[in-house]
Amino acid sequence: MATETTPSATETAAAASSIPPPISTLAARKPTKFHVIPSRNPVKPIRTAFAVYAPPPSARAVHPEPLVSYHAQQIRRLDRSGARTNLFSKKNPDAAKPGDVLQVTTNRGEPFAGVCLSIKRAGVDTAILLRNHLTKVGVEMWYKIYSPSVLGIEIIWRRPKRARRARLYYMRKPRHDMGNVEHLVEAWRRSRNVFSSNKGRGAQGKGKGGKGGKGSK
Amino acid sequence: MIQLKTMLNCIDNSGAAIVECALVVGRKRHASIGDRFVAIVQKSRGASDAGMGSASAANKVKRGDIRHAIVVRTRKQVQRPDGSVVKFDDNACVLISKSGDPIGSRVNGVVGAELRRKKWSKILSMAPAHA
Repeated sequence: MATETTPSATETAAAASSIPPPISTLAARKPTKFHVIPSRNPVKPIRTAFAVYAPPPSARAVHPEPLVSYHAQQIRRLDRSGARTNLFSKKNPDAAKPGDVLQVTTNRGEPFAGVCLSIKRAGVDTAILLRNHLTKVGVEMWYKIYSPSVLGIEIIWRRPKRARRARLYYMRKPRHDMGNVEHLVEAWRRSRNVFSSNKGRGAQGKGKGGKGGKGSK
Repeated sequence: MIQLKTMLNCIDNSGAAIVECALVVGRKRHASIGDRFVAIVQKSRGASDAGMGSASAANKVKRGDIRHAIVVRTRKQVQRPDGSVVKFDDNACVLISKSGDPIGSRVNGVVGAELRRKKWSKILSMAPAHA
């Protein structure tokens, strides 16, 4: 697994080590014992024609937690730099949290910004729920954070106080609804432009831009 | 999940405000974004919000009319091939003629991008935003 190629290639390589060897090597395995029936005469036990082979190596012993290692491998493949993992890590104090306004840029269409109502942590299937108002109609989008179609996730606005719940579904109610977050996106874009013009044209990387925006807030 | 008796907002300028689903066309189950259904106009738009002078003339449909319509927004979440999911706060539709052309000339409000996959680009191009 040192060289990360396509998922199918690594999968087959990993599977090959766990799957017991084929029949041809089964014969090559050394101690071929025959089933023995204990008899009255201890000198002459009854030896049958049935060969007893050692059991194949257990796949469970080789891979104690296959799903965990599979998720880790997929995350390594989809998030090489680890930036996405870090952005939603519980250990990272600067991570995005429910209640923050995030913007997701996909490989087609306009970027979608919205307040994060929930983060569903599920290994490589980890997803975020964003809510916004477009033309005065509430729109909610789930995005998989490790999806190849998600090009970038940026923190537009941080909630001043930490939300005391992990799932902010109450923000769907009219009383708690944030409404359109366009003004926050606009403010963020303006602040980022100031930042980049001061710094110069060099730092325009995806991750760099997000970090810079965070630092200036 | 649009089915018999579902009430939807009509977001074009055909003159209908609220329509009721009478039949989902071509599907055995409920309708989702981009699906066609037979709609009964329950409430037509008043003169106040459609236009100033020729409000009644601009209303191409009136209460009780039976037309075909396309679902453009659903409360029920719709999953995309890349795993993302979209969900709106209301159910909305756009009226079309039997041949598939929109009755109204403009669409007020966001529509689902599933319309492109379902070959309703005409509605998609009329909409101010899609999500």
